[in-house]
Amino acid sequence: MSAPRLSLVLGVALVLAMALSLLAGGAGVDSPRIHFAGDVQARELARLILFELRAPRTLLAVMVGASLGLSGAVLQGYTRNPLAEPGLLGVSSGAALGAVIAIYTGLGALLPLAIPVLGLAGALGASLLTLALGGGGGVLVLILAGAAVSGLMLTGVALALNLAPNPYAAYEISQWLLGSLADRSWDQALLALPFMVAGLAMLAGTGRPLNALSLGELQAASLGVDLPALRWRVLAGTALAVGAATSVTGAVGFIGLVAPHLVRPLVGHEPARVLLPSALAGALLLVAADIATRLLPMPQELKLGVLTGLIGAPFFIALVLRLKREVT
Amino acid sequence: MILSPCIAAGAAPARVMSLNLCTDQLLMALLPPERIVSISWLSRTEGDPAQRDLAHAIPVNRGSAEEVLRAAPDLVLAGRFTTSATRALLRRVGVPLLEVDSASDWDGVRSVTREVALALGAEARAESLIAGMDADLAWLAARPRATPVRVLGWSGVGDAVPGPGTLFDTIVTSAGGINIASEPGAPAGFDLEAVLRAAPDLLLRGADYSDAPAWRNDAALHRVLRRIYAGRMLTYPEAVYGCGVPRAAAQARELSAAFDRLGAREARP
Repeated sequence: MSAPRLSLVLGVALVLAMALSLLAGGAGVDSPRIHFAGDVQARELARLILFELRAPRTLLAVMVGASLGLSGAVLQGYTRNPLAEPGLLGVSSGAALGAVIAIYTGLGALLPLAIPVLGLAGALGASLLTLALGGGGGVLVLILAGAAVSGLMLTGVALALNLAPNPYAAYEISQWLLGSLADRSWDQALLALPFMVAGLAMLAGTGRPLNALSLGELQAASLGVDLPALRWRVLAGTALAVGAATSVTGAVGFIGLVAPHLVRPLVGHEPARVLLPSALAGALLLVAADIATRLLPMPQELKLGVLTGLIGAPFFIALVLRLKREVT
Repeated sequence: MILSPCIAAGAAPARVMSLNLCTDQLLMALLPPERIVSISWLSRTEGDPAQRDLAHAIPVNRGSAEEVLRAAPDLVLAGRFTTSATRALLRRVGVPLLEVDSASDWDGVRSVTREVALALGAEARAESLIAGMDADLAWLAARPRATPVRVLGWSGVGDAVPGPGTLFDTIVTSAGGINIASEPGAPAGFDLEAVLRAAPDLLLRGADYSDAPAWRNDAALHRVLRRIYAGRMLTYPEAVYGCGVPRAAAQARELSAAFDRLGAREARP
């Protein structure tokens, strides 16, 4: 299938998923008629729920999913490594550390903008560290570097919690780290969206340089690709997109890993062709997961990060097994 | 059920130490400060607001067994869920330890208060506190509310709400309200959509009295909550609503007064 056709199919599926997301709530799927039937109070309540609760939630799910999917595809193309994704490279943990520091030093209460800004600073720091440690050392070294940086960032989170003066800090952060889009408002959406859009824009233009890079670094340089500029673009774009996304939702993993792998069998392995379909697939996956958290009949709401982990971790295991089979 | 190993029979303990926020409240209510060795550090911020000044006058501990051994109290009060490693160590070393339950209804409050008072040798003080509690409850029972006020409690972070069978539920009911989380078919947690549909009259949000920054602050509240429940959201001291001390009845009276103020405001055009 060609990339534009797949993008069209995914785009249509995404629009349908967004419509379902606007209708789905904790009590099941509403019929659109509730906005026009019933008394004034019921109609106003239905519209309030639609515009103030579900609309920001749906938009955030789309943007966060697209950010994760696109940054996963770009990182896999840049490192020429099928296991690269923002979570595995420690970027999400770095963003979590930045956000936790913003909240528990009181900066976040003083200036709400501080939370996404520190989130992206943490993401940028973590990605710089991982690529410095493991870039160019092959599959194993990069994943190990990502694990090491992730461990360092999560230790930082634990330290921040340990020293936080507020006695409820541990409970709050354990809730936040599970990853959730529940009850997010326009305040948070409008704060994080500019950063995510900026990050997506930076990452979107890396298609052709990544194609050249797949031939090798020297070959890419000889074709005119500015390697330091590309590296900076990948890092900054990932940090902006994933950092802001994590600061709003908490730790939602595996979307960046799964989305490119789902589209590659359909569009081929050329990095540029995978970018847009990955972004759309990531958005579709996250919107679907968010709908599932609302509709699944569980005694308590299943958190988004838990659901993506339950689906993504087995996928990761299957990938590792496949890689093992190819190598041996 | 209260477990009471290693309590020396006979003389009342001269010096008592408390490791738990709930037992702190009981201890400060039953004994004079001279007989209290230390209370937990949380009492200075998260405890009963009415006891805050007293809590600042008493030394605090961080709940470690070493602090207990160095202070050498005659009795240690702990909760059933106080750090199990600490409790096990104290028991093994032979420190007199009393594990106190929380109560979930008024009979429970009376029995917990009396059992702790028996161990402290403060039975007379306990009876006067319980008499005060009964007077408050009688005052409330003599003023039934025509339409109960529908209330939902919430800690402010996560989505846990106090449900049926909790002391919160008992306090709200005694004050003339209904805890909507106890109604059949109520959602299990705090989900904004469900809250807007259930439309309680009043939201009770767990207060955080320490000034330390936290994720749950006023600015982080969803704008819809701030708009729709402006003036209908109260903070409540979770420690008093969750423990089981006679002061809980006074809290029920304060809640009833809050219901009156709410009704008066809504009756005004």
